[in-house]
Amino acid sequence: MGEWTWRAFKVVQSIVERLPRPWVYALAVLAARFAWWFSPLARPRLEYNLKVACPELEKDTASLHRISWLNFRNHAKAYADLMQLPNAPVEAMRPRLKVEGWEYLEEARSYGKGVLVVSCHMGSYEVVAAIWSATLAPVSFFAEELEPRALFEWYRETRARLGISVLTLDHGGIRKVLEALRDQEMVITAIDRDITGTGHVMPFFGRPAPIPLGPAAIALRLGAPLLPVCVYRLPDDTYMAEGTPLIYAESTGDSRADQVRATERVLRRIEQFIQAHPEQWHVPHRIWAGSP
Amino acid sequence: MKVGLVSPYDFATAGGVNDHVRHLAVQLQNLGHETRIFGPSSRADVGVEAARFYRIGTPIAIRVNDSVARITLSFHLANEVAAIIAEERFDVLHFHEPLMPALPMTMLRMSTTANVGTFHAFARSNVGYFYGRPFLEPYLQHLHRAITVSEPARDFVQRYFPGYPMRVIPNGIDLSIYRPGLPPIRHLRDEHLNILFVGRLEKRKGLGDLLRAYRAMVSRLPQSRLIIVGDGPLRGRVESYVARNRLPNVVLAGYVPERVKPRYYNTADIFCAPATGAESFGIVLLEALASGLPVVATEVPGYMSVLEPGRDSITVPAKNWRELAASLVILGRDAELRRRLGEYAQQKARRYSWDLVAAEVVAVYHEARKALAAQPARQLEVSGVHNAV
Repeated sequence: MGEWTWRAFKVVQSIVERLPRPWVYALAVLAARFAWWFSPLARPRLEYNLKVACPELEKDTASLHRISWLNFRNHAKAYADLMQLPNAPVEAMRPRLKVEGWEYLEEARSYGKGVLVVSCHMGSYEVVAAIWSATLAPVSFFAEELEPRALFEWYRETRARLGISVLTLDHGGIRKVLEALRDQEMVITAIDRDITGTGHVMPFFGRPAPIPLGPAAIALRLGAPLLPVCVYRLPDDTYMAEGTPLIYAESTGDSRADQVRATERVLRRIEQFIQAHPEQWHVPHRIWAGSP
Repeated sequence: MKVGLVSPYDFATAGGVNDHVRHLAVQLQNLGHETRIFGPSSRADVGVEAARFYRIGTPIAIRVNDSVARITLSFHLANEVAAIIAEERFDVLHFHEPLMPALPMTMLRMSTTANVGTFHAFARSNVGYFYGRPFLEPYLQHLHRAITVSEPARDFVQRYFPGYPMRVIPNGIDLSIYRPGLPPIRHLRDEHLNILFVGRLEKRKGLGDLLRAYRAMVSRLPQSRLIIVGDGPLRGRVESYVARNRLPNVVLAGYVPERVKPRYYNTADIFCAPATGAESFGIVLLEALASGLPVVATEVPGYMSVLEPGRDSITVPAKNWRELAASLVILGRDAELRRRLGEYAQQKARRYSWDLVAAEVVAVYHEARKALAAQPARQLEVSGVHNAV
């Protein structure tokens, strides 16, 4: 995002945060319709990714278009949620969050090594994390540094208000992730995109893609389990966070191979999440070679 | 005992009196008492876990004492209030700011039970008290016992109602919530020296002086960061001041949820309270002390009733941003001084534990009930009888 785009974003955001939620969603759907028709790259890339994730869409163009439209719609609503976050009464939003799989969270906590949540860019995970942090327990995000710097600072400040620490993928950030886990906090990260370009190439939906090994490396180092969580929007615009059985990274002495093995197991779970809710997987980016 | 706590202020917005009422309700419940809370609210979804909340009246914003009070001015509450009082049969009604219109005054008029009032406010003067004295005095007679949160607050009330007996019981702090060792906001916990301000962004909190002081000190302590927690009418002006002067490392956190606020204290190295006056106590000071933070504050009467300069804090004259900047630099450069002040602060905060404060309040309730028993029975007001029937 360039400097002017950031300024435009800030103007729109300051208007959106003052509007009632239904109005904002209505505007978001309008914007999504516009983007779906006219975006030069986002839609072709998203549809390419969807075809890889759900091969049955390859031949069913009508379903592909329907799912990609729903995806744009949900993505726009997620952006709307993000823009409303600075002024949102988050404590009062707790009833909007439904949680399944508490037992896996409790199991992860019982090890006393923090909770390392792995997920993908799906649903309004920002809002879910915000509600969680403001009403239940401290949360840290392990996320990429955005450009321009002002956007990243805004992103950090709005999350800090809700008690979310945003830790970068650099050396200092990783040290803080380790500290957070040692202090029994929850650290959330997504592994369906390789932001830093240092990922390990492995099969993702059967095709080679660079995938970050960081979460598995941390899990191995601390002996903490990985908790795959699927976050998605329900038809009534509430949010569901679905915990699934823990994945234990086992050490055999070959750390690279151990990291790859653990990441592959997590990735299989992420694939299931995406196949169950392809209309909520917001990744209009290049993942595989051959993508537009 | 069945206790009704009455607040005049909008329960949907954060504030010292409402925080006090919420915490007192929790403590009373822990001590085995049944509590109800009465207050106006601008939102219907406001609730308190420890007590049933009666939402009475719609608040409107009124400028008073360099701040904005959100109170209800509806004088048509009498019937509703009388019906609830008759139904609930309280042992004690505890009025916070009992002379504040309209809810506390209306309920006080209706009440036939033991009445206790807590005066929280402090100001240089009060036109309402001055001109309304003949009208307000009968209301004071309805109170069986009166409490103030600090000596300046007591002196303020007694200036208009000389000789009126009042007991000083300070605000409390929940030491299980505000304590060192909580997870900080990690990306703000780095090599920078974090200076924390917590409060509504309004003139009397003195944030303008702190911003000027910060501007003056950043050249001497470049590795410093100012974290501003709170929202209010001056938010836009604060943002534009920061942008215009290109102040580095200023974090405008805005309104922070109650569960998250203690973590901000654990992110900070110094707490700064630059109020210009009109503070009767300063609950934020207790929060900072309990979190083990050294304090730099202004010498306003309410703050001075809590702080011990040189032991837990450095104090400077109000509205003197140069001295404020100098104190922040001295404390910022001296880690040992910060540690020493912080240690004493944490130890001192134990005196203000809600357990102790609530026990004192309950003792006052018992005194009020004895005083009620000793006086002849009072007739219910006509509207009260009407609703009770």
